[in-house]
Amino acid sequence: MADKKHESTKPVKRSIDIYALTWRMPIIIWQFLFFVGPLIFMIAMSFFLVENYRMVEAFEMKNWVKMLGRNYFWDSYFYTLGLASAATVLATVLAFPASYALAFKMSETARRWAVFFLIIPFFTSYLVRTFSWYVILAESGVINAILSYVNLGPYTMLNTKFGTMVGYMTLTLPLVIILQTLSLSQIDRNLIGAAHNLGCGRIRTVFTVIVPLAKVGLIIGAVFCFILSFGDFVSPYYLGGSKPPTLPIMIIDTTKSGQQWPRAAVVAVMMMVTLFSVAFAAIALAYRKRSQ
Amino acid sequence: MSDPLVELDNVVKRFGEFTAVQPMNLEIHKGEFLALMGSSGCGKTTTLRMLAGLEKPSEGEVRLAGRVMNDVSASDRDTPMVWQTLALFPFLNVRENVEFGLKMRGMAASERRAKALDWLDRLGIGEFAERDVALLSGGQRQRVALARALVTEPEILLLDEPLSALDAHLVIRMQGVLTKLQRELGITFVYVTHSQSEAFAMADRVVIMSNGVVEQVGAPRDIYRAPANRFVAEFVGRNNILTGKIKSSSQKEIKVETSAGNFTVPKGKGTTATTGDQLSFVIAADLVSLTGSKPKTENAVACEVISEEFVGSVVTLYLEAPDGTEFKAQVQQRDLDKVNAEAGKTLWVNWATKHAHVLPEARA
Amino acid sequence: MMNERAIRLFLRLYVGCIFVFVFAPIIASMIFSFNSDRFPTIPLGSFTWHWYETVYNDPDVWDALRTSVIVGVSTAILSTFIGFCTAYSDFRYNFRFKGAYLALALLPPTIPLVIMALAMLAWFSRIGVSGQVWSIVMAHTVMCSPFAMAIIRLRLQQMDSNLEAAAWNLGANQWRTMREIVLPFAKPGIISALCLTAAVSFDEFAVAWFVSGLNKTIPVVVLEIVTGNIDPQVNAIGTFVFITSMTLVIIAQIVIMTQEKKEKQPA
Repeated sequence: MADKKHESTKPVKRSIDIYALTWRMPIIIWQFLFFVGPLIFMIAMSFFLVENYRMVEAFEMKNWVKMLGRNYFWDSYFYTLGLASAATVLATVLAFPASYALAFKMSETARRWAVFFLIIPFFTSYLVRTFSWYVILAESGVINAILSYVNLGPYTMLNTKFGTMVGYMTLTLPLVIILQTLSLSQIDRNLIGAAHNLGCGRIRTVFTVIVPLAKVGLIIGAVFCFILSFGDFVSPYYLGGSKPPTLPIMIIDTTKSGQQWPRAAVVAVMMMVTLFSVAFAAIALAYRKRSQ
Repeated sequence: MSDPLVELDNVVKRFGEFTAVQPMNLEIHKGEFLALMGSSGCGKTTTLRMLAGLEKPSEGEVRLAGRVMNDVSASDRDTPMVWQTLALFPFLNVRENVEFGLKMRGMAASERRAKALDWLDRLGIGEFAERDVALLSGGQRQRVALARALVTEPEILLLDEPLSALDAHLVIRMQGVLTKLQRELGITFVYVTHSQSEAFAMADRVVIMSNGVVEQVGAPRDIYRAPANRFVAEFVGRNNILTGKIKSSSQKEIKVETSAGNFTVPKGKGTTATTGDQLSFVIAADLVSLTGSKPKTENAVACEVISEEFVGSVVTLYLEAPDGTEFKAQVQQRDLDKVNAEAGKTLWVNWATKHAHVLPEARA
Repeated sequence: MMNERAIRLFLRLYVGCIFVFVFAPIIASMIFSFNSDRFPTIPLGSFTWHWYETVYNDPDVWDALRTSVIVGVSTAILSTFIGFCTAYSDFRYNFRFKGAYLALALLPPTIPLVIMALAMLAWFSRIGVSGQVWSIVMAHTVMCSPFAMAIIRLRLQQMDSNLEAAAWNLGANQWRTMREIVLPFAKPGIISALCLTAAVSFDEFAVAWFVSGLNKTIPVVVLEIVTGNIDPQVNAIGTFVFITSMTLVIIAQIVIMTQEKKEKQPA
């Protein structure tokens, strides 16, 4: 039977189906009012003017010229891009052995529990966890205290790129591992067995069989890592010292102190354009048919 | 027979470009056990769903007890169904599942409880009334689904491949339960299945469908012995189908020349047989005899034994004529003892002329 | 070729290290919340309830807690309702522009919080609802409903597609079927979604910080304390926040897991 078709056909008349609309409309209404609306308004706001500390609705390029004409902005832009890219590579590389272990070397039960425990921190106050790292990494913090017993250190870890990366990993690593594990565990084991049978070594199997097969999952994990790191202000501020500020910090400073919302909007729009470009490029890469 | 309970009047069902049911006319009588049979995609389930109001006909009328049902929604019909997946409500216990239809009809709690328990008892699962449906065996769940559908005491029960999920031995048992129930209640069963053995074992009449078209409607025995066309003959299986040219015809018989040999078939009343025309005929596998030496009858072919298949005491032999035509013969084990039926040996396949059934001209 | 056992051992150790990294800040925060020293480090000072007492006696924290609870509960209910509607629409119907519809529903988590915060702040001031508790609820609902949608959609995926039809067939109309069949079936997903969205809302600090005005939530209070200097109070509040969200997330997961187990019972 054409069962797929049955599922989708309705037993009631085709005219206005109040029942169907009841379920379909809430998200449309809500997202237009409180999601699409704000984002479009923010784009519009980037063309507004600020006069006497008050925003005036206008359509001027002034904010754009001002922000994009400054080295200060571009330094921050490339710095943020660099940090987020580094975090993406780092998280992907750090997560892979763990995901590999969870997917191939552990029982179904162990994997379930691991994912269970990785989901918890993803939904657990990132802010407090970052503060906790601040205490652990500080000059007289836990790590340096331990190192002093073996006459090492103290090392400066706060207000460095290392500190920022620790924060980014706190934010992204659990999610990246979950996404990688889910895609790795869907690989047909027989293919791996076949590769081994054909004399493909372990490391080579990983790179020639497993990574290509799990490509989509690995890229999606990386994209999420990039999005989260690129948009995060807590780690670069508290652990990285905010020198120079990243784009999210710039948005906060511009909004909170200077009342310069339109300029903050310019930064935000630039960020969104960047994120969408990266995400689309990555998805295109993920689903590209292999040449050859 | 009495007035038809269900009438399908030129019913067509389309899903977008795809036509699931071609214009279909069918009458289903009160108290009848009717099977809709065909392979997947033939339109049998769509037909059943139109009876239940889950699909609306694109054209034509569906009438129930004389009333046009096209615009009556599923919930306003009294056409309960037993689902292929059973579709028991997993968060309700056995009794609550059975009570569901009564509850929707607004029956008081105590009354519907008594009714539900009564039906569970009738189906022999009264002791499981308060149990979780997930804890029951396949056969027990089947009975819950039946009780849930029958508790509203409908005139008609729709069954969509209800036995397809069961083990083979349970299927036979449930077939018994279903036929007994249907006789006792005297209500109409419309039973969708792809299984010939289920349809032929239980139904009074079988409707054979393919690609949305009704190929034949008839009692199981008629369909088996006298398939209406080549499709039915092939679908029913266990048939030897031969095609050849008409060499000559007399009042009662037609001589046909096929690649496997020349045969005689009976000539039906009012049929014309033009010499040189093509003709197909069927001999049911169980009407074929096997002999070790050339028999005296008219219709005989020497064939090589290819393989044999045992089901109980019945053996199906697969044979091949010199020209490559395949023959199937279904014989009793004890009859086979008389001949040497090892693979590679030669046996004579033969049949009485009256057992050949001429297929009507193939439709264009 | 390396020894299989050695590799296994190495990978296990590696996974162990990752878990240490992930949970170290949570555990450290809990330990230091009972530590008497002003600057949290080792060796530990003595055991104390002092920081909890400080927090307990701080009326600002109580106000923030009240706001957080109101926001969390309202957000959970609203976003679970919207998430359910969307999940059901996706499960049950095919319609034109469904791809765009789902994109609209699922996109919010991919927008950085700071950007959401700025956009919401500007929008709410424009339409005149800024600085209220309800502003936070509206913003959080946008961010949480995709999570609710995803959880409930996964639950509905396990529903026999004939289940609704079976109810219609037995005389229930669509609304009645929703009440008698779909909602009870989706219940574990709904409970799970309520817990998870409450946890997300309870932890969210960026948007809340921008749009809350004077109605600070707990994370906003934490953010303000942290911006000042190192104050072990944060560990006490943090421990409370951790325990609350962890409890919610664990309940969310367990409800789904036990349901799956129950339904997987062999027939």
